[in-house]
Amino acid sequence: MWEFFVRSLDASTIFTIAALSELLGQRSGILNVGIEGVMLFGATLGFMVAQSTGSYLLGFLAGIVIGGLIGLLHGFFSITLGSDQVVNGMGIWILGFGLTAYIGYPYTGPLGMERIPDIFGLSPFFFVGVALIVIAWFVLSKTSLGLKIRSVGENPSVAEVSGINVTRTRYLSVITSGMMMGFAGAIYSLDYNPVWSNNFLMGWGFIALALVFFSMWNPYILLAGSILFGTLWQLSLNPQLVLPGLMSRYIWRTVPFIITVGVLMLMSTKWFRTRWGAAKPDALGLPYIKS
Amino acid sequence: MLLESIKRGDTVLEAKGITKRFPGVLANDQINFEIKAGEIHAILGENGAGKTTLMNILFGLYQPDEGEIYLYGEKVNFKSPLDAIEHGIGMVHQNRKLIPAHSVIENIILGHPRAGNVLNLKRAGKEITELCDKYGFKIDLKAKVWQLSEGEKQVVEILKALYRGAKILILDEPTSALAPPETKRLLESIQIMTNDELAIVPFITHKLPIVLEVSERVTVLRRGKVTARLETKDTTEKSLAREMVGREVIFRMERVEVEKGKPILQVENLSALNDKGVLALKGVSFSVHEGEIFGIAGVSGNGQQVLAEVLAGLRDAEGGTLLFDDINILHNSSLERWLKGIGYIPSERVDVGSIGDFSLVENVAMNYYFDKKYAKGGVVDYKKIRKLTEEMIAEYDIAAPSPDTTAKSLSGGNLQKLILARVLSRKPRLLIANLPTQGLDVGASEFVQNKLMEAKKERAGILLISEDLDEVLSLSDRVAPMYEGKFMGIIPGGEARREVVGAMMAGLKPKVDEI
Repeated sequence: MWEFFVRSLDASTIFTIAALSELLGQRSGILNVGIEGVMLFGATLGFMVAQSTGSYLLGFLAGIVIGGLIGLLHGFFSITLGSDQVVNGMGIWILGFGLTAYIGYPYTGPLGMERIPDIFGLSPFFFVGVALIVIAWFVLSKTSLGLKIRSVGENPSVAEVSGINVTRTRYLSVITSGMMMGFAGAIYSLDYNPVWSNNFLMGWGFIALALVFFSMWNPYILLAGSILFGTLWQLSLNPQLVLPGLMSRYIWRTVPFIITVGVLMLMSTKWFRTRWGAAKPDALGLPYIKS
Repeated sequence: MLLESIKRGDTVLEAKGITKRFPGVLANDQINFEIKAGEIHAILGENGAGKTTLMNILFGLYQPDEGEIYLYGEKVNFKSPLDAIEHGIGMVHQNRKLIPAHSVIENIILGHPRAGNVLNLKRAGKEITELCDKYGFKIDLKAKVWQLSEGEKQVVEILKALYRGAKILILDEPTSALAPPETKRLLESIQIMTNDELAIVPFITHKLPIVLEVSERVTVLRRGKVTARLETKDTTEKSLAREMVGREVIFRMERVEVEKGKPILQVENLSALNDKGVLALKGVSFSVHEGEIFGIAGVSGNGQQVLAEVLAGLRDAEGGTLLFDDINILHNSSLERWLKGIGYIPSERVDVGSIGDFSLVENVAMNYYFDKKYAKGGVVDYKKIRKLTEEMIAEYDIAAPSPDTTAKSLSGGNLQKLILARVLSRKPRLLIANLPTQGLDVGASEFVQNKLMEAKKERAGILLISEDLDEVLSLSDRVAPMYEGKFMGIIPGGEARREVVGAMMAGLKPKVDEI
């Protein structure tokens, strides 16, 4: 049972950091539905670099850097060129899916490095994730920078006349967001499941995307949601640990996705939008074109 | 010149020969004026007179093609609104530049250089409260902006400008969205500001009496040029309107007396929710008769919009009855209501009243595609509708190069004329006119009001929803002031006193003998 609990929190860590990165971008008005692709890049590049150099540090750095670069790419298209962010994000996912399969193929198999040591049986990244949540909450709600980020996500033209550089603020958010996505991917491939295989992320990024909507753009609800989904995910991998004999693991494995679909459908109802609609950044997904 | 040494009457801002061209339009043509410390200097002009362009130049959104701006005697060249703000120019926008999801204090300190890396809300709150006390504003700094009334939002914008250290405050249509008591409070606050050597520059199209009440000087713009510079005390409402429009304007529309017919629309205890799911229409009862204009007066956001949408069939009612010709139409679609003879002029000309990318012909077709005479077997007879559109353009004097022009290229006044022509050409028996003259200049408003009067003469029943108290009072046979989803009473139009109706719009119950 304890083992199950610990594994669940490990899984939650990845959801937390990935979803938080998406939340940060969305609060600035930039939707990145390609989060799965960015995480695949981070996971694969991180895995390759770590295995080649034998250094975890370099592996994580590689994941963060590639994530930041793809964030920059997404920013260039959606901020500078003002393209459709959903189309753009889908492009990033397809690119990540295809390209990582291609470059990562020779690395198929286990990482073959000593495991990253645990702290109290937990992955050290769990503490990093919780710290990032607190930092993100503090920055967004208590600092000038956070107010700027929220403003450009709500109404960029108001931000502009208040003397805020919308382009710069959005780039900052989307690049930071990309770096965290890459980091989350690297945690998956270097710590949680250090074995490379084709498309080994299996939809974690999409669940993280759904979690942002689930959280109503609040970091603390996001943390709770991540733990819930992490637990469900773990349950799907080895349900016999908790509920021996109750349904096949293949049925359990569908549970997080069924809940994801359910959450997204609930979010799109009129009832939900009239009740909680105010939480969503007003300018989410809308390019800002100066008049 | 140092800011501290500015004395009352010193020139703080001077514009010399400001010229701005847009493709095909000379928006500002050699405009000169000066603004002094501690004065209220109104800038008057119709829509299209170049007011907005001038305002945007002063605020750094546009750069003039020719001409110079001097601030405290020094030449300045604003590249952005931030430049203007840093030079002490504050702007209070008509379409509020605020973030609804954020709190009042967050809106005020947004982008302020002294906000601190970690927001110092305590200090900012204290400083803003001092400003409020000084100028007589009352506002809850922790409230979210979406919860505020229009008047309160305006206060937030003013506070934002003052907190940024504005010495010259530009107000865009400052009183257009306010109830009379709010207007009075605003004008009092402005007067206090002028004692602190602030210069106040309201830009005004409507509500000329306000100008006369508080301003010291007036600059009038017409077709991009300054046509008059006047001391307010030497002017009257009529003379100002003549300067603005360039011809005599009838001010008080003569109410045509028409024999009142049978009730055509009967509403009993009607209620409905708004977009947020909150009960916004809380049980109203009234009737509209043939040959009558029934006016609803109210400040925006008090349920008029919801009422209009329920009547037009665009929004479901929560309860109540709705009889047209003694038949319940509550469950009829908006098309069925059209066919019965209910015409609707929506307040959102651009979003609901027309499709911007469609030609005028296609926009007219939107009200004719269901008419057997204009569409046979599902095939629309565009030739016929084109001819109809041409007739409308001629009869309503719509400034459009051809019927194939897109709707979005028309000015607000011309678009409203087209919508009006389209609705009235169907000879509706009941016309719901929601804010028909909002945002229109004096000339176009007069035209629209005349057309409503003509429809009344032809014995249509008209429901007029307006935020302009003078308009409602002068046109309506009966007036219902609306406040928070309810009618505060129904008063005969001819006898209604401006102050009483104004107070009722703000939610005050009148004493019986006052009516």
